[in-house]
Amino acid sequence: MATVPITLTVNGQAVRAEVEPRVTLADFLRDELGLTGTKLGCEHGVCGACTVLVDGAAVRSCLILAVQAEGADVLTIEGLAGDGLHPVQEAFWEHHGLQCGFCTPGMVLTAYALLQERPSPSEEEIREALAGNLCRCTGYQNIVVAVRAAAEKLAGAR
Amino acid sequence: MTLQVLPRGKWLGARVKRVEDPRFLTGEAKYLADIVLPGTVHVAFVRSPYGHARIKSIDTSAAKTMPGVLAVFTADDVTALPPLASGLPVEGLQPTPQPVLAKDKVRFVGEAIAAVVAESRYLAEDAAEQVVVDYEPLPAVVDAERAMHPDAPILHEELGTNIVYQKTTTLGDIEGAFAQADRVFRRRLHTNRFVAAPMETRGCLSVYERASGHLTFYSSTQMPHMLRLFLALFLGIPEHKVRVISPEVGGGFGQKMTIYPEEVVVAYLGKVLGRPVKWVEDRRENLAAATHAKEQIIELEAAVRNDGTILGLKARLIGDAGAYSFNTASALIEPLAGAGLMPGVYDIQHYQHEVIAVCTNKAPVGAFRAVGWTAAQTARELFFDEIARELGLDPAELRRRNVIPPERFPYTTCTGMVYDSGTYRESLERALELVGYEELRRRQAELRQQGRYLGVGISLYVEPTAWGSEIALQAGFPFPSHDNATVTIDPSGKVRVAVSVHSHGQGHETTLAQVAAEILGVSIEDVVVEHGDTDRAPWGMGTYASRSAVIGGGMVALAAQEVREKVLRAASRLLEVAPEDLDIQDGTVFVKGAPDRSLSMFQVAFAAYLDNRTRAEGEEPLLSATKFYDPRATYSNGCIVTVCEVDIETGLVQLDKVVAVEDCGTMLNPMIVEGQVMGAIAQGIGGALYEEMAYDESGQLMTDTFVNYLLPSATEVPPLTIEHLESPSPVTIGGIKGIGEGGLLATPASVAGAVLDALAPFDARIERLPLTPERIVEALRSSESR
Ligand code: FES
Ligand code: FES
Repeated sequence: MATVPITLTVNGQAVRAEVEPRVTLADFLRDELGLTGTKLGCEHGVCGACTVLVDGAAVRSCLILAVQAEGADVLTIEGLAGDGLHPVQEAFWEHHGLQCGFCTPGMVLTAYALLQERPSPSEEEIREALAGNLCRCTGYQNIVVAVRAAAEKLAGAR
Repeated sequence: MTLQVLPRGKWLGARVKRVEDPRFLTGEAKYLADIVLPGTVHVAFVRSPYGHARIKSIDTSAAKTMPGVLAVFTADDVTALPPLASGLPVEGLQPTPQPVLAKDKVRFVGEAIAAVVAESRYLAEDAAEQVVVDYEPLPAVVDAERAMHPDAPILHEELGTNIVYQKTTTLGDIEGAFAQADRVFRRRLHTNRFVAAPMETRGCLSVYERASGHLTFYSSTQMPHMLRLFLALFLGIPEHKVRVISPEVGGGFGQKMTIYPEEVVVAYLGKVLGRPVKWVEDRRENLAAATHAKEQIIELEAAVRNDGTILGLKARLIGDAGAYSFNTASALIEPLAGAGLMPGVYDIQHYQHEVIAVCTNKAPVGAFRAVGWTAAQTARELFFDEIARELGLDPAELRRRNVIPPERFPYTTCTGMVYDSGTYRESLERALELVGYEELRRRQAELRQQGRYLGVGISLYVEPTAWGSEIALQAGFPFPSHDNATVTIDPSGKVRVAVSVHSHGQGHETTLAQVAAEILGVSIEDVVVEHGDTDRAPWGMGTYASRSAVIGGGMVALAAQEVREKVLRAASRLLEVAPEDLDIQDGTVFVKGAPDRSLSMFQVAFAAYLDNRTRAEGEEPLLSATKFYDPRATYSNGCIVTVCEVDIETGLVQLDKVVAVEDCGTMLNPMIVEGQVMGAIAQGIGGALYEEMAYDESGQLMTDTFVNYLLPSATEVPPLTIEHLESPSPVTIGGIKGIGEGGLLATPASVAGAVLDALAPFDARIERLPLTPERIVEALRSSESR
């Protein structure tokens, strides 16, 4: 199949590639760039496991094509922190916000995007923001607690 | 058994953060789909769009010429592979072997018919669409009771019936109990078919080395050693040349403890094609073809005295097995397990049950957290609520009057389970106190005056755990099982713990390290836990049925204890004191009372391996021990109370809170216990209110995506309160009991009970779950017209 050239930024690095037009952003990140931290739980836009940030907004990477990310700035879980953990990741760790870990990259990035926009969300706002990310292990409560704790950590750091 | 009590110091019982977490948080963890090997080719399965059809012909010629396609395999190409059959012979269960690729006939939507192998998954899917299957559709049957009818379409013609098991068992004096009853009540409940739906789907990768004849098989499985054994047998590869690696696994909940047709086919393709062959299931396949669970039709009849004493119980449990019973007697796991636990925490000695398993044109059933028990618990607890209402008793009071009192432990149920210890009554009282029960009842009455409908549901439960040989026997599945741990201190003093139990979210790398660290007197940072790779982990059954805390904790404790003794012996020779006079703390071996006479673990281990003076004649240098553990049966318990409000116009249920009081004996790590309970409660909420695998009359699956199969999200799960009671088991190492399943065992009854309690003024009857708004509105409407 014919390919199309694309250029974009992924985790701060310029990327140039040739992709088939039908390849999703998720598959491009995982298969072409080897960024397998982005997970696929449904491939039809419901579970949120594939969430990445595109120009700062949380996006389901299974629902958009790689070619649609032309010129975009993409952040995946691998790019969230340098060495060590970002405060959101730390908070998930401290509050047992993960079990099998499969939903975790998507959850962490969704939480990060929320806190960028709303630095001190209420519990209800946190639950609303996470409602598009399914987790089958935790029952969500510890994730909500972790996001609140992350908000406090980030506020303290400012 | 030794080690009745484990030391509790810095590590055991503490809320230790999970050591495995950083790799998940950063995206570094590698699940099956993330493993990339050079030269890998990809599989897409062609699956049946019909619930029941004859396969007249399959034409793969067009598919084979598609770009990038290596092969297309159908049943005719895999005649070397035997069908999957029950590995657990149960008397009276008719065999219904499942071919690994459908031959002649398909019996459920999603049954695999052909495997297409291509250079990429995209190309494999393109080619799969070009496989032409000519079907002759047959009438389907999707309701278990209808399937029992002599005129029903038959799935397995050679049997002449869809009923694959039927047996009645009478325990105690059932006729006598009914003769003494003041009242006799009846209730029927058809529990919903719902699924584990782990966020990571199934998948596997087969790597065969032709020169050595060695198969390495990666699979998202909960039981690597069992898979190794069966792959060796199915493929005819000697077992010592098979290695199974279960990488990170994104949830299992029982669904991944089955050996699946797809796994056998992919393993075989790897062997035949000589290239790494990978299959990653998509969500539609997972919903259609991975095992379903929990559907039963249960009829109960109780002999009751006016004071609420349950004198006797009759139960008829029909398990809807789906199209095949394979692996461990899967047709029976629901109704037989349900029948065994039906008396639950109540003192019922006169009991009769009829267990029936029926094939239907739906996906085969398998284990899912609290298999069989969820349906039984839900049916019984909702029935007890109804009996209480009819007798004008508070449902809490009815439970108080029938619950097994603490002085009766160990208590043998009429079904042969031996409850070792527990806090049955206490957990009920504590849960009621926590939820503010009396006040809630007052408020409920008040709100009813205003036309608002509050409900409270109580679910009091006992949970069989520690799945070893004894409890399997007590639960009706006489399948021996045992597990091993190897604890080794390396020459540099660091600790390696290799275990046969598998972790897919349970946090064993932390909890089992806590056990080893506590006993060996080292820091948890100096311990690594290995699992999931049959070349590195000792033999065992893997993880299911809340077994790993008890069995894993016990076997690690035994092995660590033996290694500790070796360390002390070696150190005693170096320090020239008796081993009894030594202790170990924070990685230092020292003389009790003279802490400056000490050696680091490094010094002792180094000497043990490399300085012969540390050993007596005939002693081995290795600081290592492998220990086996097959625990006695132990039972956890608890009580879950749900508070909700129902909008009687729309049928919408608003959950206010769920309170759980649980008792799993000695806790290794309360944080992880709470995580298990909360996760299982959320699944129970899904099962009570949202989740249902629906088929239409023709056998078509209506719920093949997460758009129509609804999992609870963060906005559906209310605040959860978890409190622990701790009654250590008198029969297991350290008094540990399991914790994995209680939440899903008991929550559907609690949530559904709360909804029905809210609807009590209307005498609304509901016989089917989940309690969707439509079902609630419908029940209210039909109660009006009664
Ligand atoms: S994989 Fe993208 S939303 Fe589920
Ligand atoms: S931690 Fe397993 S799905 Fe969320």
